[in-house]
Amino acid sequence: MNKMATQFKLLLSFLSLFTVFSSSFVSAGGEVGEHVNHLSDNLEKYTGEVNWIIKKVDGIVTRYEKDGAKAAHSKAVVDHWEAVDFHAAIESNYVPVYAQIWQGLYGVKESIDSNSSIDAVKAEQSKLEQVLWQALGAVKLAAQFQDRGLLQKVALREGGPTNSLETVDEIKTRLNRVVAKFAEKLVKESVDIVHDTYLTLFEGIEGDLISMNANLVEDLEKDFNVTLPVALASKSSVKQIQAIVSSMGKKLTIARDLLAKKEKSKKDVF
Amino acid sequence: MQRRTFIQNLAAYSAIGACPALLSPSLAASVSSVSVEQLPKLEGELTLYLGRGEGGLYENVLNAIKKRNPNFDLKIRRGPTAALANTIVAEAKANVRRAEVFWAVDSGAIGLLTEAGLAQPLPADLTGQLQPEFQFSNWAPVTGRIRTLAYNTERLSAAQIPDSIMALPESDLSIAWAPAYASFQSFVTAMRILSGEQKTIKWLQDMKKRSKRYAGELGVVLAAERGEVDVGLANHYYTLRLKSGKPDATVDLAFTKNDAGCLVNASGIVALTKNDTAINFIRYLLTTEVQSYLASEAYEIPLIGNLSPPKGLPSLGTISPPKVDLTRLANLRPTLDMMRKAGVL
Repeated sequence: MNKMATQFKLLLSFLSLFTVFSSSFVSAGGEVGEHVNHLSDNLEKYTGEVNWIIKKVDGIVTRYEKDGAKAAHSKAVVDHWEAVDFHAAIESNYVPVYAQIWQGLYGVKESIDSNSSIDAVKAEQSKLEQVLWQALGAVKLAAQFQDRGLLQKVALREGGPTNSLETVDEIKTRLNRVVAKFAEKLVKESVDIVHDTYLTLFEGIEGDLISMNANLVEDLEKDFNVTLPVALASKSSVKQIQAIVSSMGKKLTIARDLLAKKEKSKKDVF
Repeated sequence: MQRRTFIQNLAAYSAIGACPALLSPSLAASVSSVSVEQLPKLEGELTLYLGRGEGGLYENVLNAIKKRNPNFDLKIRRGPTAALANTIVAEAKANVRRAEVFWAVDSGAIGLLTEAGLAQPLPADLTGQLQPEFQFSNWAPVTGRIRTLAYNTERLSAAQIPDSIMALPESDLSIAWAPAYASFQSFVTAMRILSGEQKTIKWLQDMKKRSKRYAGELGVVLAAERGEVDVGLANHYYTLRLKSGKPDATVDLAFTKNDAGCLVNASGIVALTKNDTAINFIRYLLTTEVQSYLASEAYEIPLIGNLSPPKGLPSLGTISPPKVDLTRLANLRPTLDMMRKAGVL
C-alpha cells in the first residue's frame, strides 16, 4: 500500500513537471523532431539508444583502462549523446534529469581527461548509467500521460505566454534550461538565457509585482542580474547553480500566487 | 466598415440620443474619446502580431474584445516586438502576408514597417481621435510613456535636478542608467535626432564617467530609491508602480524641458492590410474604456482626447516634451554604433 502511495505521489510530481516543462519547449540546439509528440511510438527506439550509449561509453572506459586517455577519445561521450533522438525526448519532457545526464557525461569525460584512476572513472560511468535509466523511465511515464491526453503538445516553434501566470511558468522553465545548458558546459548560452528571460519575460511582470511586494521584486532583480549570472560565469558546480535556481523558483511561486490574486481583483476592461 | 459606415453608425446612435455630441459627421474628425458602446461589432477573422509586454494586460484587453464580439475570430502570434517587426518585413519580401495588424510595444518597430511601405493608411476620423502631436496617417499610437529622472527624495529636491538632459553629466549627481534597455536606446536616438551625433556621443562619454549601469529600468529606479545613486534615467511607470506598492518609497519624478530627456514614446498599432475589420479593431484600442484601463492598470499615458494621465503623473500639458517623429526612432543602427563608440555598450 505504501509502495502504491509512493508511486502515486511520484506520478503526480512527474505530471506537474511534465506539464510545465513540455508546454513551450523550443530546443536551442537544433531540430526537436515531431517524435517528441509521439513518445509511445518511439519507446523501443529510445530504449535501443540508451543501450547503445551505455555500450559506447563502456567501450570508451575499456579503452581508457587498456590504452590510456588519448586512445579513449573521451569527447565521443558527448558526440554519442547528441546523436540520439532520446536526447530531445528527455530534454523536452524532464529538464532536471536532462541536466543530470550532462553532469554524468562530463563526469566520465573529465575523469578520463584528468587521468583519474579506473575506479574513479567507473564510478562516474555507473552514475551516468543510473541517470540514463532514470531518464528512460521518465520518458516512459511521460508517454503514458501523453497517450491519456494529459501532456500538452510540445511546441516546435515559439509561441509565448498569454498572461502573467503563464509568464511565471515560462520563466521557471527557462531557469531549468539554464541549469541544463550549464551542465552541458554551454556557459555563454546559459547566461544569455538568463538575460533574455529577464528582459523579455520577468520585465513584463515585475511592474505588477512591485506594486504588491517590492522586496520580492528587489530579491529577484538581484538574482537575475547578479547572483545567477555571476555564479554561471564563475566556476560553480551544477549543484550550486541548481540551488540558486531552486531558490528563485520558490520566490517565483510566491510571485505567481500574488499575481493570481491580482488577476482575480483586476477590473474588467469594458 | 470604414469611415463612412462608422459615421453613419455614430449618427444612428446620436439619433436615439446615445451620442448627441456626434450628430454631425463633420464633428467626427474632432471626436476626442469614443466609448466602446459606439463601436460596431467585430466579425470575421483577423490575424494580429502582438509584441510582448505589460505581463498580460494587453492580453486582457484582447480577451475583453473577443468576449464582446463572439463572431470575431482573432488569431494572435506573439513574440518580442523587434523580432515580429523583422518577421513581417521578411514575410512581405517573400510575398507572404500573414499579419493583418501589428501591435508593437514601441514606435521604433512601427517605423520599420512604415519605412518598408507596409503600413496601410488609417481613416482620418480614427487618427483624429488622438492628440494632435500623436496623429499619423498610417499608424496609431495606443498609449504613451515619458522619459523621466527618478530621484531620491531624501538626498535631493526637484529643484536641484537640471532641467536640461544635456546638463546632467555636468552636475555633481550620481546617476543610474540601463544602456542595453530598448527604451533607453530610443531615448538616445531621439537625442541624436534633436541634438546631433557629436553632442550625443560627448554626452554618452561624459555620462559614462558618473553613471552606474543596470540591466533594466526598474533596477534603475530601485537604485535611486535605495540611495545607491541620486537620480536614474527611466520611463515614468516604474516609479509610479513602485510608489503604488510602497507609498513611503523615497523616490519621485523630475522632468527635463523640451529635450530628449522628457521624450514621450508610445506603443502603437498598424494595419497591414486594407481590411475593415482591421481598422475597426484598432478603433477598439482607442476607446475610452481601453485607454482608461491601460492607464489605471499599467500606468500608461492615454493619448486620446482629454483622458486623465495615470495617478501620480502630471498631465502632458504641463510637461514640455520635444517634437520628434516617433517613427524615426526605428533607425537604431547609428545609435548603437554611437553607443559602442562611446563605450557604453
